[in-house]
Amino acid sequence: MTSNTHTGTTVTIFFEDGRKFNDQRDIKLNVNAIKTADASAVVKCGNTTVVCGIKLELAKPKAEEPDVGFLVTNVELLPLCSSKFRPGPPSDHAQVISNIVSDIVTNSKCINLKDLCIVPDKLSWVLYCDMVCMDYDGSVVDACLITLMSSLKTLLLPSVSFDVETEEIKVDTTIKTPLPVNGLPIATSFAVYQQLSRSVILTDPTAYEEEMCGGLGANLIACWNKGQLCGVFKFGGSNLSTENEKETLALAKQKSKLVEKVINICIENKS
Amino acid sequence: MKASIGDVVLPGDYCEEITVAGEKAKVIIGPGLRRELDRVYVTKAGVLKKRNPCTYWVDSYQKRYVPSRGENVIGVVVQKAGDIFRVDVGGSITAALSYLSFEGATKKNRPEVQIGDIVYAKMLVASKDMEPELVCVDSHGKKGRLGVLSDGFLFKCSLNLVRKILNPSCPLLESLKNEWPFEMAAGMNGRIWIKANSMRETIALGNAILGAEYQSDEEIKVICSNIASILAGHIS
Amino acid sequence: MGQKDDIYQNFQLRPMKCELNFLSRSDGSAILSQGETVVTVSVNGPLDIKTTSQSIEKATLEILFSSKGGKPSVADRFKENVIRQTCETAILGCLYPRTGITITIQELEDYGGLLSCAINCACLALLNSGISLHHVVAAVSCIVDETGNIVLEPEYQQVQSAATKLYFVFDSRDKNLVTGFTEGAVGEDMYLEALEKCRAASDLVFNFYRDVVTKYSNVI
Repeated sequence: MTSNTHTGTTVTIFFEDGRKFNDQRDIKLNVNAIKTADASAVVKCGNTTVVCGIKLELAKPKAEEPDVGFLVTNVELLPLCSSKFRPGPPSDHAQVISNIVSDIVTNSKCINLKDLCIVPDKLSWVLYCDMVCMDYDGSVVDACLITLMSSLKTLLLPSVSFDVETEEIKVDTTIKTPLPVNGLPIATSFAVYQQLSRSVILTDPTAYEEEMCGGLGANLIACWNKGQLCGVFKFGGSNLSTENEKETLALAKQKSKLVEKVINICIENKS
Repeated sequence: MKASIGDVVLPGDYCEEITVAGEKAKVIIGPGLRRELDRVYVTKAGVLKKRNPCTYWVDSYQKRYVPSRGENVIGVVVQKAGDIFRVDVGGSITAALSYLSFEGATKKNRPEVQIGDIVYAKMLVASKDMEPELVCVDSHGKKGRLGVLSDGFLFKCSLNLVRKILNPSCPLLESLKNEWPFEMAAGMNGRIWIKANSMRETIALGNAILGAEYQSDEEIKVICSNIASILAGHIS
Repeated sequence: MGQKDDIYQNFQLRPMKCELNFLSRSDGSAILSQGETVVTVSVNGPLDIKTTSQSIEKATLEILFSSKGGKPSVADRFKENVIRQTCETAILGCLYPRTGITITIQELEDYGGLLSCAINCACLALLNSGISLHHVVAAVSCIVDETGNIVLEPEYQQVQSAATKLYFVFDSRDKNLVTGFTEGAVGEDMYLEALEKCRAASDLVFNFYRDVVTKYSNVI
């Protein structure tokens, strides 16, 4: 997976695609790509491609939390994106990715669910955020969060008037207000490659690299939002020492700032 | 964590003593130990043991059998497939037993083995990547004690119990054999076959063996004499 | 330095009680209580499994988590994944290729820290089963309360009110991080402090394992 270039005494080691270990792949982002969705975004991180579409619906809030709306996230890993996935009900891996993405969104509190409520106990918005992976080439959680957050940031909520007596709902699509988004959680995946007694940290691994480092779901994922950690996930794989842990957190922080810039510039250019 | 002989060890501990001994002489590392790079690591929970000059192993608790070369095991024939019998020995897959690996067997003179028969056999090939293979003869073509076990009663137990009762220092068989006559075959795969003159004696024997699992040598002697006196009708 | 030692010595985990070989028919089993939380685990294997799920390189690990309610949910799949990935690093699967190892976890009581209790119990059941392990693992959970204090192995009420929960699993060889995940937002310093505290506390769990094995070793 690596090629060594000997230049005098220094040895530089590169990924198979010529990146350095802690370089990340190029990000290509396009917002509002799907006209039929209420908000959408497509992202390509290297070859990994994820599309996110948000569908708006109205529903009655839960009785136990009358002033809270709903944000439903779902990640689909279809056989389309990789030969590793079979048709049929969502695989365990897809369920775990879904869970991680929704955990990050809830933990970061970037969306205040109270903002989604229109009339307490009567009416609130339901945001169905569906992320579909088109090409699975590693670090899929990173890509999912980028599309999800760009979609949420561009989402416009139409104004709704609700008649308490007649319970009549009027939706005015001409007046739209953006959804308040508080912060921007950005996840970064790392693969830990065990080489005898020391380990090498690979930023933004491809599917091949993930496979070399413990297979599906063994990535370390660190998520930053506004200078706070809103999710650190590591399930098995190679073991990680404290120095490596600190290194990854710093790298993730660096990357989160960069990606945040990318998202903001992209949205500005579009509007 | 560093461990030394006689210690209670957990997987992940390492023993420097073995490494040091290995520099001077050849050492044999047995079950529960594994060499990684320049250290010897423990892989099973138990007690680290040593036999002079240089044999090391970990005594651990286990119920599931993993085939290992040269061990005598007891299996049940589950299938006849052409030239071989498939024998269930309690491992992850069945073991193969060729019909030619019986004493005096030739292509014409096939041994009488039926599905459901119990065989006492030796592991000839046991590798993690291959199907285990059994034989019922030794290297001289003699059957010795191996072969089909007819009648009797077969029961399962933990692997430790078999090792324990086969240990020459264990008083169990020593005390039982003086009380009443019986036949016994113990497979290292945690299966014991017993045969006594009556049902009563067979059950008593089985209970004595199973009861010995967590007892000390002294307690085993007491159990044996108790069972013997119950059997003899002194105590009802 | 003295002060730092104090911090590490003053903590304690909830009382742990364990019985090995709790179930008579499985290859390895354990029941573990940490405080009020109780979990039982059974391990079977290495067993024959169907050809499609066999791996020629290592043993296939199958985890079944049943919650007290019995109804399977996405959260259970998540727990299964955490336990599978954690156990996979611990088990020397390369010694048992083309076989399957089944770990069944039954929740009995959940008063906080269910997942760490389940991981510790699974580890004890694996020790009992005699399957070769690379190392043992110890799971420690903690929360950050409103005042910014780190509470190790919190009680039920504390878990309910906590904004941030952190779970860590360490290996016994180098005390490196095997598994870790967080719920809720946390600052970097706080995260690292919690990590170090849990790492130090994992020693208590490893010592507990050793005590349990010692207790059972005299009957082997």
